[in-house]
Amino acid sequence: MTDRLSRRGFLASTAVALGTAGLAGCASETSGPQARGQGDAPKEVFTAPSRKLSGSLTILMWSHFVPRHDKWFDRFAADWGKRVGVNVRVDHINTVDVPRRAASEIQARQGHDLIQHIAPFSQYEPAVLDMNDVVQEASRRWGQQIELCRRSSYNPNTRRFYCFCPGWSPDPGNYRRSMWQQAGLPNGPSSWEELLTGAAEIKRRTGVPCGIGLSPETDSNMAARALLWSFGASEQDAAEKVVINSPEAVAAVEYMTRLWKQAETSEVFSWVPASNNQALIAGKSSYILNSISAWRTAMGTNPKIGDDVFFVPALRGPKAALAAQHVIQQWIVPKHAANPDAAKEFLLHYTANFPSVTYQSELYDLPGWPSLVPQLNGWLDNDPFGAKPPNKLSLLKNAASWSANIGYPGPSNPAIGEIFSTNVLPTMFGRAARGQVSARQAVADAERQMNAIFKNWRDRKLVGG
Amino acid sequence: MTARRREGVPRAGLADREGFLAWAMLLPSVVYIVALVGVPFLLAVAFAFSDVTTGDPSYDFVGLRNFTAVFDDGVFWRSLGNTLLFTTSAMVLIVVFGKILANILVADFRGKWLVRFLVLLPWTTPVALSTISWLWFLDSIYSPVDWVLRRLGLIEGNVVWLGDPGTAMLSVVLVQTWRLTPLAAVIVMAGLVAIPRDLDEAARIDGAGFWRRMLEVTIPLTLPVIAVAALFGAIMTFTDMTVSYVLTRGGPTHATDVLASWAYFRGIEGGDVGQGAAIALFLFPILLAGAIAILRAVRRLEAQ
Repeated sequence: MTDRLSRRGFLASTAVALGTAGLAGCASETSGPQARGQGDAPKEVFTAPSRKLSGSLTILMWSHFVPRHDKWFDRFAADWGKRVGVNVRVDHINTVDVPRRAASEIQARQGHDLIQHIAPFSQYEPAVLDMNDVVQEASRRWGQQIELCRRSSYNPNTRRFYCFCPGWSPDPGNYRRSMWQQAGLPNGPSSWEELLTGAAEIKRRTGVPCGIGLSPETDSNMAARALLWSFGASEQDAAEKVVINSPEAVAAVEYMTRLWKQAETSEVFSWVPASNNQALIAGKSSYILNSISAWRTAMGTNPKIGDDVFFVPALRGPKAALAAQHVIQQWIVPKHAANPDAAKEFLLHYTANFPSVTYQSELYDLPGWPSLVPQLNGWLDNDPFGAKPPNKLSLLKNAASWSANIGYPGPSNPAIGEIFSTNVLPTMFGRAARGQVSARQAVADAERQMNAIFKNWRDRKLVGG
Repeated sequence: MTARRREGVPRAGLADREGFLAWAMLLPSVVYIVALVGVPFLLAVAFAFSDVTTGDPSYDFVGLRNFTAVFDDGVFWRSLGNTLLFTTSAMVLIVVFGKILANILVADFRGKWLVRFLVLLPWTTPVALSTISWLWFLDSIYSPVDWVLRRLGLIEGNVVWLGDPGTAMLSVVLVQTWRLTPLAAVIVMAGLVAIPRDLDEAARIDGAGFWRRMLEVTIPLTLPVIAVAALFGAIMTFTDMTVSYVLTRGGPTHATDVLASWAYFRGIEGGDVGQGAAIALFLFPILLAGAIAILRAVRRLEAQ
């Protein structure tokens, strides 16, 4: 009996250990440092709801890359519920599972009252409530919403806000200063051309490649858009017409081919969203495009490397210097929601407390209404979480000026969402880089796919052009 | 009837009626198949002719529009080719390795139970979990497979298994083979133990060696069972998207996208449920034709 128990115990503990290791490994980004003093945390505010609330409120949202945020959020939501007489339940799931969960709830016409995702969610417009009243109220209270948040939540064709977008995260360049010093660029690259020459030089000298992804995943999608915009190309124009097939897009694809051949390896074709973080921290990549989370992770797990990671704003191309947003908050209230009033009131309360959101996410989430977080520039100049130097993130003070929404210069419509989800752009760049087709052919093939997708959504009257 | 009762013969109840019992016992399976296979299948057929999206469940009939759009999409044809390559390669390997494993499993040796346990492990592990393990094994930076190969002096840098179209497809096929070989082994093993021993002994007495007995006795007698193993392998590979989705998400450049994964990308992640259903539906006639062909072959072999 003792033998059987001990064997069982051994198996159980092995399973638990493997499971724990697995879960830890699954996390694409993790929290790193602690705040230097809890006194820095902003005070929460409460405004009484405009109407009497009751019942329950269920919220489905991602597991934030910064675990501290979720602990804070769950407590914050529960506290609000107690004050207004609503029983709040928050379900956190992996961000990649949110779309399929939302899809199944909307098909079943039952589920959570409030759903949050961090990528374009415009295809749900027919099944969600218009958030115009919430946006109007937020703008009345806190002034103008930044353009990329507005474009990521408003459909100009239907004149509806299909979601509420109170926050976002930028996507700066992350580079290893010690490596770029050797290439004569201690402050990192400032243009795509410098990226090519510097990264190629680093790879030649040290064997460490650049880490701009060409894989069917989120970060590669962001990088593809940044490159296109900087070369003067885009998927659609402001009127939502497909304009990808342009000499500028071909030039961007040709550039990416050169970058891959001279400064990268095949690994960028195999990456998942966490891979570029891992590569940067492991010293296997000299430059990546990502949020600040890889660096925050390194600050906690390997401060020496964390201190060597620095940031640059969007790289300058022949026509512009623009990066895609990294994360965009998309809060939807499905039509089936049992308590839409509570959902909308909670969103206003959450937005009013955006200083806490920004702080508890370790400056990962930036406000969609900048007036809400007057402390932000102070934090970015003097990081409360121990950045070395303390002003390492100061370049994010004007991040909104060099960041754009997915779909820029048009809105983040459902066609753009499908192009994003089916990885049309990373595939376009990747096929040319691999030499499977010419740059011109890759762009033409992508245009064919995009036209089909746009036509499909235009027929549903959700896309203009 | 009255006379029988008088003689003490109990009246035949429902439990004595074979027709009723047969249906009663079949009923759970029938309900299961209708609810979880039949209804979703009919739903997929209905969706394929509709403009249903993830955000708009309302049904509007659109005729063949989704099919036309799907056929015009180069990625669909690429996925179809990949599916056939993936299925054929994995099926051949599953049958070959399944047969070898079955031979090992029926042999008598010490520690047989441990070997059987280890062999069955890939089959019993949830597919998503085991594929995530393979994702780590084949990681571009931390791959232990590459580490071992480097230590053995067989490679210099990392292979980057999932970053090259050729090695990515090879990885997907091999992981699927690893996963399904135990099932094929168990099926073939059942056939092996059913072969009368005297046939094998007679062949031995006639001087037949291992290979001759294998090729002229064992394999012909187990061919119907091997065909069943092949059928299972083919169906489970043809309809599988987990391995490709978890390992490569269909990349690089759609090199490992299969019909099931492309249907998922278009239908759920892209939001166009109608087109996703049209792509998924394309699995059905091919599977049906394959299954009929293999089952006919099995019947012919049994008749021989």
